[in-house]
Amino acid sequence: MQFAQFAGQGGVVLALGGVGYAYPGAGRPALRDVSLRLGGGELVLLAGRSASGKSTLLRAACGLVPHFHGGEIEGSVEVAGVDALASGPGELAAAVGYVAQDPETQVVSTTVAAEIELPLELRGDPPRERARAVEEVALALAVPHLLGRTVDTLSGGELQRVALAAALVTRPRLVLLDEPTSQLDPVAGDELIWLLRRLNEEWGVTVLLAEHRLERCLAAADRVVAMADGGVAFDGPPRDFLAWAQEADTALGTPAARLFSLCGIEPLPVGVRDARRTLESNERGGEGSRAPSSLNLFGGGSRSDRGRAAEKAQAVRRGSGSSPVTALKVRDLWVELSRHDGDHDVLKGIDLCLGRGERVALMGRNGAGKSTLLRTLAGLVEPVRGRAEAPAGIALLTQNPGDYLVRERVGDELAGDEGLAALRGVGLERAVDADPRDLSGGERQRLALAIALAGRMEGEELPALVALDEPTRGMDRARKADLVELIERLAGRGAGVLVATHDVEFAAAFAERVVLLGDGAVIADGPAAEVLSGGWYFATEVARVLDLPGVVTPEQGAAALLPSHESAFTPPVPGQMQIREGGG
Amino acid sequence: MRSPFAYAPRPGAPLQSASPGAAIAYLGALAAVAFLYSSPIVLGAAGLAVVLAGWLAGARAAVRAALWMGLTLALLIVAVNALVVGRGETVLARVGEWPLLSDAITAEAISAGAVLGLRAAVAMVAFGVYSACVDPDRVLRAVRPLAGRSALTATLVSRLVPVAAADAGRLRDAARLRGPGAAPAGRAPLARRLLAGSLDRAVDVAATLELRGYSLDATRTVLGPPRSKRALAPAARGRGSSRHDGRFYLAGALVLVIAIAGKLLGADAFQEYPAVSVGAGPATLAVALTVALAGLAPLPSNPRTARTPRTPRTASTSPPPGGRS
Repeated sequence: MQFAQFAGQGGVVLALGGVGYAYPGAGRPALRDVSLRLGGGELVLLAGRSASGKSTLLRAACGLVPHFHGGEIEGSVEVAGVDALASGPGELAAAVGYVAQDPETQVVSTTVAAEIELPLELRGDPPRERARAVEEVALALAVPHLLGRTVDTLSGGELQRVALAAALVTRPRLVLLDEPTSQLDPVAGDELIWLLRRLNEEWGVTVLLAEHRLERCLAAADRVVAMADGGVAFDGPPRDFLAWAQEADTALGTPAARLFSLCGIEPLPVGVRDARRTLESNERGGEGSRAPSSLNLFGGGSRSDRGRAAEKAQAVRRGSGSSPVTALKVRDLWVELSRHDGDHDVLKGIDLCLGRGERVALMGRNGAGKSTLLRTLAGLVEPVRGRAEAPAGIALLTQNPGDYLVRERVGDELAGDEGLAALRGVGLERAVDADPRDLSGGERQRLALAIALAGRMEGEELPALVALDEPTRGMDRARKADLVELIERLAGRGAGVLVATHDVEFAAAFAERVVLLGDGAVIADGPAAEVLSGGWYFATEVARVLDLPGVVTPEQGAAALLPSHESAFTPPVPGQMQIREGGG
Repeated sequence: MRSPFAYAPRPGAPLQSASPGAAIAYLGALAAVAFLYSSPIVLGAAGLAVVLAGWLAGARAAVRAALWMGLTLALLIVAVNALVVGRGETVLARVGEWPLLSDAITAEAISAGAVLGLRAAVAMVAFGVYSACVDPDRVLRAVRPLAGRSALTATLVSRLVPVAAADAGRLRDAARLRGPGAAPAGRAPLARRLLAGSLDRAVDVAATLELRGYSLDATRTVLGPPRSKRALAPAARGRGSSRHDGRFYLAGALVLVIAIAGKLLGADAFQEYPAVSVGAGPATLAVALTVALAGLAPLPSNPRTARTPRTPRTASTSPPPGGRS
């Protein structure tokens, strides 16, 4: 086969030399003097805040920049020995595969088999070779059962795998992925990362992966490249990256690294297994790690800690939902929707109560019924049985805030006193004359929320229930911190806040209670600290490292590990949780 | 929510498994009958055939939706024809003098409108069944070597139409979720927003096609028309075809031949004006029967049960391994 020549090759797969680039009409460059070399068989993690240049770097590596997007570029880009500035994306297609953040935007065929086969067909491969390559890549990505399906019947996780299969089917030497897990639940996200690692090891594919949720993929990476303001700010092994992030940009650190930093333990862990090994080594008084002698690790005293933590979590549970004013009451809710293979019960007898001022995370796998529940509460879907009551109204912000923005001036979207009150409610009263397209991503989200709130407020008082559906997609940690602040503000002003999310760290940061859905039914409902420390997939990194009930954040972990900080440990209560961006 | 006309693969269903050429030949022949004939008997048979074909192929939602749309259109045609055409001997009502309209409603004009409407309904159901049962990717693959740019346009449209429909659904939902104090979304702003979103989507799809190597043009140079069928590898010849192709080509050819022969022999005996006259001679009935029976072509063939090879009964002269017990 044509691609067999690449198998097992090492050498430089991607080489960027002094690359500077600006999009057409952009005031500032998106890339500044970027020099980078990726060797064969490396798995490299591309870290950085939003707008730091990660996506542009990926586009330059596959030829979309500058050939498709235009703009001015300087320096050199070579992919597998091909000059990417002289050759277009089509010529590079044999050597590089690209998977964008939203798989919806990168499928062009009707059926899965045709989508995967298309690059080979366009390359002119004969049918026999195409059939074999499709079969092999489908087996490698565990999607052979999807080959006969149409792409519009796939879940987000399935679609992401199909997009990856289409990128890999030509057996490229380099695969570029732009936040591939941002729309996936923790289970599908972990599966995708380890699938990439396996392909990297077995096929020798070089992987360049841009991600915000570093805790999910740092352990799988050989190397980390951190971008800042269009340039490369760090390039080195994952452990060194964590040490660098502690000093340079703590928002890029992982929760486990922050836990270790708070406890004064070194080296910083690149993953859960690494962290547990270091802690066990400390417990045994082993060499190779440095920790204060006062650490209270898994052994002595842990039972009492667990008991105390559980008691405190129970106290929170007793307190939750006890708000005197009910924001939402759902009784025996059943919803049936049509899918590709017939009608299915998507929600199965949901019972749920929410008090005003309560902050609740709604979690579960892709397809568990989270969005359907929110849409039913908002009246977009009719239940077949049961009822949902939100006595004082509900404002729902769906997954795409841009869908709410249809005019070219903020003041035209929200006119009058009610509009201004809504803008004040989300802190956007100064943006009345702005064009929504000129606002940042976070501001657009706030504006969309204000549109949903407008007229549902009594004076400055918010509606009883504010629901957000997957609001953190593609957000960096700093923007998530802003969102946590907004949620706290909404709850502080009396609104019950219900947020459907896959992001366990975000849920740990804002929620006092977590409702976990599984296949349309509530399978767990309790204090966030209890639910997020009681499992594996729907658990924070700190919870997975320490396995202590009620301990989900680095601060709680540090309090549990350091007896001197014992008094500092409290289960999450309203108003106290936030994403800590401050240094270690 | 999926469109009822969206292609839905059904493994094992003969019409979905058939090559695009066979499926188009079959459904095209049934649709052609609707345009060749005016006889309500033959048109009814063609309608029955396409409904039967869609039903047996599992495209029931598409058949229902196409029937609903086709019959609505047929009623509209009947109403317009009745109001505009005043020919015919059987006057049902006098409506007076109106600009552009006839002064009388006649049974003949209604019948003529019904025939036109039935013809349109048959064509719509046939297209609905085609849309739900024929894989557009395979059609585009067949067209691509012949007309690359048209295939590219069709690829973009076939992808963007359902995506735009989904976007429109989301925008409608967002419009419903706007608070009562927000400015109403309005049709014009929503349409502008949808158009802008579709352009963004088109750019994304174009970028994806670039990344997949569309600009290489290899399909036309490597697999284009100059290559004869004989030059292709056996696997290439087999790909895209199905064991059911023969029956659809045969059914399509049979329907066309009999329809044309019947037309020449006077089977299309129908007259609207001045008085309605429907011929029901043997030729008409034979054509109608053939066309209606052609609707059974997508009937799944009986699965053959796997038979265990029988042990030969002939006596063996050699002892079994291990000797006789």
